[in-house]
Amino acid sequence: MKRKANRQLSSLQGMLEKQYFGKKLAILISMMISIITVLLYLPVFRWISVVNTESLYETLKVKEKAIALLETNYSLFNILSFVQHTRAGSIGLYSMILLFLIIAALYFNLVFLLRIIKKKNIKGNLSIYSAAHPAMIFSVILCIATIIYIDFANSKFGMTGFVLSPAVYLILIISIIAFIFIKLVESKERLLYREHGFLYELKKNWILFLMLVPTFLYLIINNYLPMVGVYYAFTSFNFKDGLWASPFVGFKNFEHLLKADLFKLTKNTILYNLAFIGIGNILQIAFAIFVSRVGIKWFKRTSQTLMFMPYFVSFVILKVLVYNLFEYQSGMINTAMVSLGLDRIDFYNEPSYWPYLITVFYLWKNIGYGIVVYLATIMGISDEYYDAAKVDGASILQQIRYITLPLIKPTFIILFLYALGSIMKGQFELFYQLVGTNGVLYNATDIFDTFVYRITTTQPLSIGMGTAAGLYQAVFGFIVILVTNFFVKRKNPDYALF
Amino acid sequence: MKIRDSKSTIIFKIVIYTLLTLGALICVFPFIVIISGSFTDNHTILTEGYGILPKNFTVAAYQTIFKAPQDILQAYMMTFYYTIQGTSVGLIMITMTAYVISRPEFKYRNNISFMIYFTSIFGGGIIPWYLMYSKVLGLKETTGGSMIAIWFPALMSPFLIILMRTFIKASVPDAISESAKIDGAGHMTIFFKIVLPVLGPGIATVGLFLALGYWNDWFRSSMFSTSSKTWELQFYLYDLLNATQALKQMAQNTSISTADLPTQSVKLAMAVVATGPVLLFYPFVQRYFVSGITIGAVKG
Repeated sequence: MKRKANRQLSSLQGMLEKQYFGKKLAILISMMISIITVLLYLPVFRWISVVNTESLYETLKVKEKAIALLETNYSLFNILSFVQHTRAGSIGLYSMILLFLIIAALYFNLVFLLRIIKKKNIKGNLSIYSAAHPAMIFSVILCIATIIYIDFANSKFGMTGFVLSPAVYLILIISIIAFIFIKLVESKERLLYREHGFLYELKKNWILFLMLVPTFLYLIINNYLPMVGVYYAFTSFNFKDGLWASPFVGFKNFEHLLKADLFKLTKNTILYNLAFIGIGNILQIAFAIFVSRVGIKWFKRTSQTLMFMPYFVSFVILKVLVYNLFEYQSGMINTAMVSLGLDRIDFYNEPSYWPYLITVFYLWKNIGYGIVVYLATIMGISDEYYDAAKVDGASILQQIRYITLPLIKPTFIILFLYALGSIMKGQFELFYQLVGTNGVLYNATDIFDTFVYRITTTQPLSIGMGTAAGLYQAVFGFIVILVTNFFVKRKNPDYALF
Repeated sequence: MKIRDSKSTIIFKIVIYTLLTLGALICVFPFIVIISGSFTDNHTILTEGYGILPKNFTVAAYQTIFKAPQDILQAYMMTFYYTIQGTSVGLIMITMTAYVISRPEFKYRNNISFMIYFTSIFGGGIIPWYLMYSKVLGLKETTGGSMIAIWFPALMSPFLIILMRTFIKASVPDAISESAKIDGAGHMTIFFKIVLPVLGPGIATVGLFLALGYWNDWFRSSMFSTSSKTWELQFYLYDLLNATQALKQMAQNTSISTADLPTQSVKLAMAVVATGPVLLFYPFVQRYFVSGITIGAVKG
């Protein structure tokens, strides 16, 4: 049995070597096809032409001024400008999806071409084939989506307004041809290197795939589909047109945001987070070292337990607490002030106290968690180091300075990088429960998350601006992560986030 | 030499014991104030402020709460429902996913891991997320729907999946599942007969993290509840606080009697009731959180 397989394999090997020309041909053909595709993707080729312009503009009720801005031919890259000027919001979301699709298809085709030029010499041409798959698949998906899009748009217009260029059908057909070619040569070469395709894996490990299904569904519903919803950042919502047809307005929401709150929100979010990271880590490290140096067992356990307790209460309880401490009439601080013969302080009308209060309560809630993290690292340090240091006559402070601190540095760096990665993410629950809807304090305490929450719950008409704020926050944070990761990876790959 | 060392050591010891005592006191102090305040009668709070020990001890506030307990019982029941439902479903999903991405022979484990991790570095923002549940899935239109929208979004997090994977890797060495496989065991057998029986601590830890998240949540109620029937306990408390605050302001402006408003001590008692289970179980479950965070921290 095995020998037979071996013989088969060796004859196959010979066959593949003989067929080297065929292999080259397949790659050459798919390369040509990919180049043609990429060229046709370029914005100079207008895939969509607008016909029956006059009656179309009439049915869409386009204003005189906007007609001057319209063109008769559009590529997928600027079709959104047509949507914007005609205020045909009903095709906006689909147009944006097409824009993303064409960018993805372009990207994967370029990756494929680059892979051919810079071939990795592991396992023959398999790396080229695996780069070819997404390129071809995305081309096919894009073409089919565009063909459907034309019908969709025309049915929304109620008349024939868009006509598709034949180039799309050409790309569709040649991409399918290239895909089949690649599959053919790939299946043979896979046998040679004992690699398996997706279907084989699916058949062999179907239980594992089945186990992933719930998680997949969850991630798609909860995380990936909502990403499409960033489209609302570019619309101006109104109740008449509803969610699906509100007009596309380009970057107007971002302009409004820039004029109003963007700088303040960015500044607040980043500064608060920096304070949390900086002071938080220093305190956590200090207290973790303290706890590790305690000799009495019950004291060690009790102090750690008590400091960990605030982590477990909800932010609503925190609100009760802060309100009862700082309230004007019967708050604990103010009653104490009065009994000491001092004036009451109106905390809830004075923004300048709140940055300190919020930071203090953040530290209060999170110190226990950080102590546990750092204590885990400190406990991992071998006693030998300390013993040797003691023999050499090092004092406790010297031991901490020259043994403990250097050895918890890696943990600190990892935590710091993680925290840096989420520097644009606000502690929503903390801020919202402490400040709530108290407008007086917004200048000092408003962060992206509270701003967006306020819009979601109280101003449905500004959801465009809210989504824009959320999108800006997400993209900014994402860029910070990518840049950090890039430099960390160059400096020390062990600390890289991914 | 020797003497100087021990002297500095003693000073250091004194300093750390003092600081730790102080830190622990600061962390516990607010709880004591809340608990003692809930046993103090309202008039004393208003005139003399709070104390460490209740002056004029009374259980009147608790009597007030449990005189008409329907609302709070309803919120309690809903929270138990969300916690049990979400924790059990979430645990099943997290354990299965973690098992799959811990298999070395599974070719796509890195792709799946990245797909999970990616959700923590980029997202569409809260408004598209909200519109997804409320408008696209239409969950806000029915009571049952808004209940689903309250427990579903918190079923898992990248952190918990990675944590569970670390637990699996630590408690079932690859060699064991490898030899089971040679003996003819399928993935189902390995998962149920080999991995699950030794995963107790991992399941307890991840489950407690999930349960704590559900118990302390108020945000999803504020987003998706259309009637007070589906409120979580924390949101019930939040609403009570807000309503009294608003009413108080109205009362000052319009001279409505403030006698019927929940008093300060009732609010505190409510806070105690809402946190009760967490603080009650805390001493017993704390070690699971510690071990979870420790393992998660070591892994980074």
